[in-house]
Amino acid sequence: MTGQKKYNMRKRWKVSILALGLLMLNHMALAQDTIKVCTVKNGQQYIWLSKNLPDWELNAFISQFSLEGLALKKFIQSGFTDSILLGGWKIGLNNSSQFTISKPLLSFDRVDDPTLRLILAEKDVSFDARFPRISNQLQFGYNQFRKKSTFPIYQDSTVLFYLRDHKNANQVMLAGSFNNWDPATLMMKRTDSGWILPVKLLPGKYWYKFIVDGKWMIDNDNDVQENDGLGNTNSIFFVPNHVFRLKAKEGSRKVIVSGSFNGWNEGQLNLQKQNGEWVLPVYLAEGTYTYRFIVNGQWMEDPSNPDHFPNEFGEYNSVVRIGTPMLFQLDGYPTANRVFLSGSFNNWSDYEVALRKTPGGWEVPYILGPGNHEYRFLIDGKPDSAQNHSLILDPNFTFRSKAFKHAKTVYLAGDFNKWSPTMLPMKRIGEEWVVDVHLSKGKHLYKFIVDGEWVLDPANKLWEDNEEGTGNSVLWVE
Amino acid sequence: MTQLSPHEAYAGSDGPPVKISLPDAEEIYPSVYAIPFSRAGNLILVKAKADTTEGNFILDTGCPHLVLNATYFRHYPVQESEGDGNGATAGTFSIQHTRVADFSFGTNHFYQVDADLTDLGSIENSRGIKLLGLIGVELLRKFEMIIDYENNLIYLHRLDRKGTSVFEQDQLADTSAYQVIPIRIMDSRIMVETMVGGKKLRLIIDSGSEANLLDSRLPERVFAEVSITGRTTMMGVGGKKIDVLKGELNTLHIGGVDIRQMKVLVTNLEKTCFSHAGCVDGVLGFDFLSLKKIGFNFVKNKMFVWK
Repeated sequence: MTGQKKYNMRKRWKVSILALGLLMLNHMALAQDTIKVCTVKNGQQYIWLSKNLPDWELNAFISQFSLEGLALKKFIQSGFTDSILLGGWKIGLNNSSQFTISKPLLSFDRVDDPTLRLILAEKDVSFDARFPRISNQLQFGYNQFRKKSTFPIYQDSTVLFYLRDHKNANQVMLAGSFNNWDPATLMMKRTDSGWILPVKLLPGKYWYKFIVDGKWMIDNDNDVQENDGLGNTNSIFFVPNHVFRLKAKEGSRKVIVSGSFNGWNEGQLNLQKQNGEWVLPVYLAEGTYTYRFIVNGQWMEDPSNPDHFPNEFGEYNSVVRIGTPMLFQLDGYPTANRVFLSGSFNNWSDYEVALRKTPGGWEVPYILGPGNHEYRFLIDGKPDSAQNHSLILDPNFTFRSKAFKHAKTVYLAGDFNKWSPTMLPMKRIGEEWVVDVHLSKGKHLYKFIVDGEWVLDPANKLWEDNEEGTGNSVLWVE
Repeated sequence: MTQLSPHEAYAGSDGPPVKISLPDAEEIYPSVYAIPFSRAGNLILVKAKADTTEGNFILDTGCPHLVLNATYFRHYPVQESEGDGNGATAGTFSIQHTRVADFSFGTNHFYQVDADLTDLGSIENSRGIKLLGLIGVELLRKFEMIIDYENNLIYLHRLDRKGTSVFEQDQLADTSAYQVIPIRIMDSRIMVETMVGGKKLRLIIDSGSEANLLDSRLPERVFAEVSITGRTTMMGVGGKKIDVLKGELNTLHIGGVDIRQMKVLVTNLEKTCFSHAGCVDGVLGFDFLSLKKIGFNFVKNKMFVWK
């Protein structure tokens, strides 16, 4: 928010408070055309609004104060009060031009409980956790710039950061997740149109800001921003590792790409016309993805990409693969007609990934990212075994337990496999039950399932409570 | 198989009590220690070792005592007592305690320190930090403490009973560089008197609180100084939804200094009333502390705010 805007808001607010006082005294409506106030009065949150606010102004207010659930527009249009009253709000003044609603601010129970107090006053999570270049939560990302094109990226993975204008500035610094937000290390160079700085970055997600003569600012030409929940917003830049391309044909006005990486969203990813082709650079996490283009509203395969999987409409989806493939093999079944690979990574699809016949059986190469996956082969529609196979890529941790000597089956479940009770069977090796898994850095919660019963790890003294009061074992991966 | 609750199945042992040390503390002058800290968000984290377990403590001046995370300490000898909530809080809950045989940094030893055991798992989960516990005010009361956010250092200077020390801390030598503000220690919390909108407010200085908090039940003239800029809902105990308002405090007057445009959260602090000392009107957290270098002399009840 600029200083100017801030000033205006405060001024308007003060005017409104004065008006509120008068209103309370005189019980008379004032000729105020745009009242929008949120304040605190007698321990209550208090909202005072004009009924003739322009739509955009009302929408902005509703979103600023999280009032989406109250159906305020319906109340203004037709006097509908149910949502307001159900939300615990009381209607005060209500005439043809304005209204007030109020609701008590409830107290946290035991706010001096250290956990509650810390959470209440919490702002943000730790640095690395907040600004990871690559994370399990990040499947894809793309850049959206206005008034300037996206930052150029050179062969050696150098990104040229660019701030447009600010020609009168004396000094511009760049700070972001790539330099621990140090405001003093990355000085930008002046050009005739603004300021530039090359920074070498690997593919992934980066947060950044410019510091113009000591003042931190987001990149106003970059539409991708993230609020840290504090009112502090940062600009985001994705260093891409894949480019979607489509040759521009006459008459193509709008080209969209939609795929498994964005939940087949049809309105999100517009390609831009550039030198006779439509392009969209994106960052994709390691793995296999399917996609199609939508050209002037018509769905189509990527004509320049021979890699494709059949889809549920008897057509094909194009395929993009990021990373190193592995070979899925099934021995035998020489008389089978068709064999498919179906797993947690392709939504258990039974028609997408067909295996090809080899002299000894069946096989297919496929790319998966690090993690704990599950799959089965479908042989002419029938699974190859009663149990799914687990596939741990990049195993970096071994769970072992010497307890459960008389158990028949022991499984491991935790946050790292979405608590699936059957995905990670442990093997008995000598006196121990053992299983290898992939664990990301940080804290993990887990339990063993011994002959169907969920139990804490008896050898691990560390556990924390859960909702059921049965606890989860705690493990840190440094 | 009989299902035992984890509390029964993994009950406290009779083993020897825990020893905790802060390995990074360095004596820079006789009886003056510098302890480097890192930050998780805006919390002050100090590296610590509890027997063989390594992790972090939060320096938390909003917390009266030493608090240990049950995850790492519940297998030490544990005693239980009835808590009675605080002030207006109805109902009882059980509080678990343990005793730390030796809490030390450098040559400073605290023997037989009582500590509350509580589950800090949710803070670990949201911050991604291994949290052994919270260092509260009680442990700091024999010290002069300076928190230097710029250099990520805490200076702790052992005081004698009168609050003076044989060696003056260098940093306090130039008395024109800082403001001295009286504080009171109430129920082991650091209380400071401030003025907002002509009303005296008693606020707690809380390094464990990243935000500043104001009680929503304060009179209107206080809120005439606050522009409310947002509203959010948080989950309280048992899934109860609690509304919190976000705003900006125009002017806070503290010890002859005016602090302007400070971010605050407005919420009902009814249940922060302490058993003997009464209620507080709010909390000064990191948004305030990080504005300056800040120091405390807990024996002479003074706070130093660098200009």
